[in-house]
Parts: sequence; C-alpha cells; structure tokens
Amino acid sequence: MSAPSSQQVLDALGRIKDPDLGRDVVSLGMIKELDVSPQGKVSFTFELTTPACPVRDRFKSQAEDAVGEIPGVTGVEVRMTANVRPAFMRPKPSEVLPGVKQTIAVASGKGGVGKSTVAVNLAAALCKSGASVGLLDADIYGPSVPVMTGSKVVPQQSNGRLLPIDAHGMKLMSFGHINPGSEPTIYRGPMVGKAIEAMMVQVDWGQLDYLVIDLPPGTGDASLTLAQAVPLTGVAIVCTPQDVATDIAIKALQMFRKLNVTPLGLIENMSWYVCPSCGHRHEIFSHGGAESAAKRLGVPFLGAIPLEEGIREDADSGTPVVISRPESAGAKAFVEIASQVAARTSIQSFRQLPVINVH
Amino acid sequence: MEITWEDGSRSTLSGEQLRWACPCAECRGEAGMAGRLSRVKTLSDAELRIRDVTLVGQYALQIAFESGHATGIYTFSLLRHLVA
Repeated sequence: MSAPSSQQVLDALGRIKDPDLGRDVVSLGMIKELDVSPQGKVSFTFELTTPACPVRDRFKSQAEDAVGEIPGVTGVEVRMTANVRPAFMRPKPSEVLPGVKQTIAVASGKGGVGKSTVAVNLAAALCKSGASVGLLDADIYGPSVPVMTGSKVVPQQSNGRLLPIDAHGMKLMSFGHINPGSEPTIYRGPMVGKAIEAMMVQVDWGQLDYLVIDLPPGTGDASLTLAQAVPLTGVAIVCTPQDVATDIAIKALQMFRKLNVTPLGLIENMSWYVCPSCGHRHEIFSHGGAESAAKRLGVPFLGAIPLEEGIREDADSGTPVVISRPESAGAKAFVEIASQVAARTSIQSFRQLPVINVH
Repeated sequence: MEITWEDGSRSTLSGEQLRWACPCAECRGEAGMAGRLSRVKTLSDAELRIRDVTLVGQYALQIAFESGHATGIYTFSLLRHLVA
C-alpha cells in the first residue's frame, strides 16, 4: 500500500475543531512541518496558542487517531508546541540599575514606625558624607518622600526615560512625583510590582554609590518585586520599641532572609523623648525592644533615634533633619546609623553573586 | 544545566528533570486544584529544552523553556534539594 498524500493527512486533521476558537485546527494554522515519508510515516508539529492549552492532550490523541486511521499510514509522530514565546517577565538583572553600586532597602513590616523618615535621613546622611546617593520611594500608595524632601515637582523626561529629581544633593524618584496631588493610586498587587520595576528600569539613575529604597509596609508585592528584580545589598529594618512593632519587624526580616537578602540590622525609632519643659527623658513606646530583638535574631543593632519635634517639623517642611539641624540629637543618631549601614554594606560588597553562563 | 555551588561541589540537572520539578502555580496547582504536571504523563521535547536562565534577586533562578514556559522560580535551596 502506498503512502498517503499530505492533503489526505490535512483533510483528516481538518476534522479536529478547537473548542475555544470554533474552527478546525488546520485552517487555524496549527499544523506545521508536515512530513509524510514514502514508508507511510507521518510527522508534524501541532502548534498551540498556549502551552497551557486545556485540551492539549485531547488534541494530541485526536490527531494521532485521525491520522492513524488513514490507509497507508504506518506511524504518527505529533510534536506538540506552542507559539507563545514570552521573554522573561522581568528585565534581566544587568538592565536594572546598571550604574548603582549599592542598593539598600529600608523596610519595617509594620506601618507608621518612621520608615520614610529614616530612609530620607539615611540617604541625606550618606550624601553629606560625600557619596552620590539616590532615594527611591517604593511606597506606591502612600508616598511620603516628595513632602519630606520639599520636592513636589513633576519629573522631566529625556530620551523616553524619566530623570530623577534633584533635592538636597540627592536624586529622588517617588510615585508622588509621577502622580502628584491628592488623587490616590488605586492599584492591585501586580500593578504595584510593575510600578516599582518601572521606577528602577525607566528612571535614569546614572552612577550612584548608594540607592536607598523606602519600602511600604507589608511582606507582599512591593518587597517581593524588589527582592526579585535586583540583587539588594541588604535591608535595614526599622521598628519602634514596643512588642507590637518588633513582632512585625521580625516577620519582615525573616521574609528578606528567605529571599537571601542580607539583613543589615535593626533601627529603633521613637526610642525616647526628652520633654522640653521638664527635661526628663520619657520612653513612650518602651525602650530597647529593637536591640533585644536584634540579639535574638543574631543581626546587628544599628542604633536608636529619639522622638523629636524637630524631626517631624523638618520632615513636614521638606528638609531632612540631618541637613537642617545637624547638631540635634536626632540628626546625630541618623548620621551614626548611616555610618553603621555604610560599614555593613561595604562588607557585603565582597560577596559573590552567582554567575550565569548560557551556552 | 551545570551548577557550581559555593562549597565547590558541582551538579548537573537536565532540562527534563528541571521541567518536571517546575514549582510554578500552573504546574504544581494552587488553592486545592491539581497542577498541570500531575495531569499530564508526557511533555514534548520543546517543553523539556532549556532556552534561557536568569537570576532572580539573589535567591533563585528563572528558567525559560523552548515551549515558552518560564513561570517557574527555582530557589537555590530547591535546586540543591533536586540534586541531593
């Protein structure tokens, strides 16, 4: 018996219908590289629109049966493929922040402990020491950096990329710059990830010694996107002394440990308050909670920052306290913490990142 | 795929081994639903051939297969577990 013609094979396959698209798989162009050998062996590629095709296995057996029934066919080989060829969902690591030497995340888990205040002053203190510093506000829903740095301006564009905003010698980018005013950003999680990725990839950060990243509260989308998109040098965790804050800070720290991001240490904010009228030191939120948590977890304690009216006033008026009142106890605490952070990141710069060679 | 670990040891994993170990939600299943890998018995050659590998942060590798499947994020500890 002679081998069947290609047309006979296509006619047989043309009886298979795609249930979703409502047409036969031949006219949909799903059958490719059809070959019929003189011995009657039929082989072809069955190209699906998605590798996750729910009827993939059914298609394969239908195709094998339909072709197998043609007189003269001695064998059927069906290669199932899909023509969806997405690139990686994320940019290659080399495309993210290529000119940035150290990336330092500031996180807390819990909200309202002063992450942004710490991030802004940490960045300002590093900048004062002579380093080139950027500050990325990754809090999409509640961006505080524009107010705290007096930089409520819309970023300029150049060659299709956003230029960071210059303020106090630092380069800044916040969603509060991109979406200014009182309009809220109403995003679901995956959009938050995209927005943070865009602030890294589509902003021309240039050459920086340090990029400080102010993370929103929580152990979800924002932190995860960041830890996946860049090999972070480390993360500094901010908390207030009381148990309700340290408990959540520990969760944040353990999350970063799971993602192999080095904890640079814990920072205790709102550690004490000196009453301007009586001169007494009050420990409103307790004291030493972060230090004992750091000991328990085996991570460095980076320092404590007092609760000061000046820190709040200067944040509201747009100048970090380390610049406006360098002699205040708060400013001194920030500078000391910044040098601790810088020392820890220097140690990290000797770490070796995995090298991938694709042949 | 060849891996040289920090401790100097070396491992080799085939595309086939890696594809069947894909940890993504579609392959493993989620919210009580069975994943694709528990429903199929065979995978095509294109599904098993590695096209590209990229680093995810500093904790995992993302592996793209010729079929276009690239949703699996293989943590270093998973990879180590696979060769153990």
